[in-house]
Amino acid sequence: MALFQIAEPGESQIKEACAGRAVGIDLGTTNSLVATVRDGTPTVLPDEEQRALLPSVVHYGDVRVVVGQEAQALAAEHPRTTISSVKRFMGRSERDVEAVRSLTPYELAPASPDGRVVRFEVGHGRKVTPIEVSAEILRVLRERAEEQLGGPLDGAVITVPAYFDDAQRQATKDAGRLAGLEVLRLLNEPTAAALAYGLDKGSQGTYAVYDLGGGTFDISILKLIDGVFEVKSTGGDSALGGDDFDRAIAGRVLDEMGAAREPGIVRRALDAARAARERLTCDAETELAIGKHKRKLGREELEALIRPIIERTGGPCRRALKDAGIGPGGVDGVVLVGGATRTPLVRAYVEQIFGKQPLGDIDPDKVVALGAAVQADILAGTGRDDVLLLDVIPLSLGIETMGGVVEKIIPRNSTIPAGASQEFTTYADKQTGFDIHVVQGERDSVEHCRSLARFVLKGIPPMAAGMAKVKITFMVDADGILQVMAHEETSGVEAKVDVKPSYGLTDEEVERMLLESYEHADEDMRSRLLATERVEAQRILTATAAAMREDATLLDEPTRTAMDAAIAELEARTAGEDHRAIHDAVLALDEAARPFAEARMNRSIERAVRGKRVEELEV
Amino acid sequence: MGSPSSSKFAILGVPETFDLDPEELERRYRERSREVHPDRFARAPVADRVKALSEATALNDAFKVLKSPVRRAEHLLELRGQPLGDKEPVPQSFLMKILELREALEDAQAAKDEAEVARLETAMRARFDAALRRVGQLFASGGTSEAIKKELIDLRYFQRFLDEVTGEEAA
Repeated sequence: MALFQIAEPGESQIKEACAGRAVGIDLGTTNSLVATVRDGTPTVLPDEEQRALLPSVVHYGDVRVVVGQEAQALAAEHPRTTISSVKRFMGRSERDVEAVRSLTPYELAPASPDGRVVRFEVGHGRKVTPIEVSAEILRVLRERAEEQLGGPLDGAVITVPAYFDDAQRQATKDAGRLAGLEVLRLLNEPTAAALAYGLDKGSQGTYAVYDLGGGTFDISILKLIDGVFEVKSTGGDSALGGDDFDRAIAGRVLDEMGAAREPGIVRRALDAARAARERLTCDAETELAIGKHKRKLGREELEALIRPIIERTGGPCRRALKDAGIGPGGVDGVVLVGGATRTPLVRAYVEQIFGKQPLGDIDPDKVVALGAAVQADILAGTGRDDVLLLDVIPLSLGIETMGGVVEKIIPRNSTIPAGASQEFTTYADKQTGFDIHVVQGERDSVEHCRSLARFVLKGIPPMAAGMAKVKITFMVDADGILQVMAHEETSGVEAKVDVKPSYGLTDEEVERMLLESYEHADEDMRSRLLATERVEAQRILTATAAAMREDATLLDEPTRTAMDAAIAELEARTAGEDHRAIHDAVLALDEAARPFAEARMNRSIERAVRGKRVEELEV
Repeated sequence: MGSPSSSKFAILGVPETFDLDPEELERRYRERSREVHPDRFARAPVADRVKALSEATALNDAFKVLKSPVRRAEHLLELRGQPLGDKEPVPQSFLMKILELREALEDAQAAKDEAEVARLETAMRARFDAALRRVGQLFASGGTSEAIKKELIDLRYFQRFLDEVTGEEAA
């Protein structure tokens, strides 16, 4: 489905119809925001009570799902059915979270044998994935934006931590789709922040973006020249943030109280800790209360508790500077992002590392959403086009070779889109299958890297060991999402491969959840869905016709016949009222076009990259 | 293996020479990125997006190769039809010398003798830079591919040594 993977579902070419309704969304661990560009100025869209921040909290009630402040209010009373900081679970497998199971207040569904995506049990036998929980948050933001902008959105840019791996990015994109958003692009949060600052100031130079949010820490070094933002390096820790400050404080207080770690109490202690910490940004001393237990907390004690956590950001900062090939003095400015950077000790530590007082004149809670809105505006074709982002992949991508050793195919900090291919060969005589294990990470041994996908290249003609030439190609698109292809060259036989994401949801699952969510919605939704499907069908028909004209030589007769039939079917169904029938016909056309799409993809890859060297691979 | 190499200099629109101005290279890269980056085609027809993706990928690859003097030199040899193979013959004495130095490095690293590690790194950096200068002179004076290859093979070993110092994988 290469042809249509590039064309994301739901994308519309009719931009005039809904120009100016592109939004940027900061899907944060603690809070989420939506922003748009109005009259050339990025603005955060508040709710009807003028609150910009939507707490990233979802409560699953008996009759309905509530999101935001309302859900937050229910968290202490219903700790198991109220999910907060869900971002920490994005793209995580059951195995990944097994270690922290006892530390979360949530009821996690028992691990399944295939070690799939983690699920929360939210009462009444319901199990929800982090993707579904995130989609609830995104849906509220989408509705907020649609109400204020007066109609369906043109598309959205959703931000992710630069350090998010492929599975986490894919999960975020899936959540966007599930919430009915057309995801124009995933944007790294630090890049978004720099975009917000860069445009305001029109500055040139090298910038560090220090982003300490609720649950993640990111550091990025960016170069800004002639309107081109180039990400020189990124680093961070996807499990470090302001939440850890709260946990440190709450841990101490709970120990003093001799309290058992029950979900309700833990939640209350964490909330009290956060409130006290926020007060200490301005005050020297505050009172912290959990139920009847009260105690004083001074800034000095707070700083002693959180200093070790803050110092864990130093290593990634120094590594990012080194990767970018500059010393601390080579940075022209430091941008602060994330609520936790309001903490005076964090600011002092940043100044110590970079030798510069950090910039902070844009609200660190809003700066990412504002930058995302700018990028959405650019991508929607309505904004300025004098700015361009050149992003890099945060972690190396490779495959497992002999003895569990990782062979890197695309090294970290490569500018995207990036592509590379490498040739491998069979090690046994008459070997007809080839196992490919795709991993992400910096370590040499496979068990220290993250497993992204496994697939088998089948149908290699039997030949002597070392004769087959298996070419494995990695392509990372502008969202940082990976596609892997493999084919055997000597025989000229194109073997079919299936990439099964280990942690993300399959397309079918996302479609199913999408449909389920729509089934519970009202008629408006149904007609919107029908309209969306019609637009999508029209887009696919137009794109397919153009591709068939342009690359007629790549079309064999059986494929052409199958595609013609599928096109006729889709045209007929588009006239009808059944959005699912249209959808099925789109999928059928997609399927019929698959050989053609693959031929096109392979040819463009052939042009883009060439094999590097032949390596032995044990399978 | 692979398709016949096309010029990465042409992709960037810079002169096909070893002696590239790094600033000019970066400037051209930014200009070309503006033209072909997929963000420019976010809402364009599928065919245009496929094209942008493959062009931008090729551009990023070309920039990465030309930015590195060693890889730039290797690419120039490829364009001459004299690519550097993976298993080029290396004199035994040279291998022995490198082996000795790597052992010294491992010992110093194991003993956490940072001064010794730094000394070994500085010495190797000097060898590396000298070899690179010779490559530049050879290209400028019309030296043979064989002579350039010899230097590049040495550089490979020097590079691997330096990667060992920083604990980085060779890119």
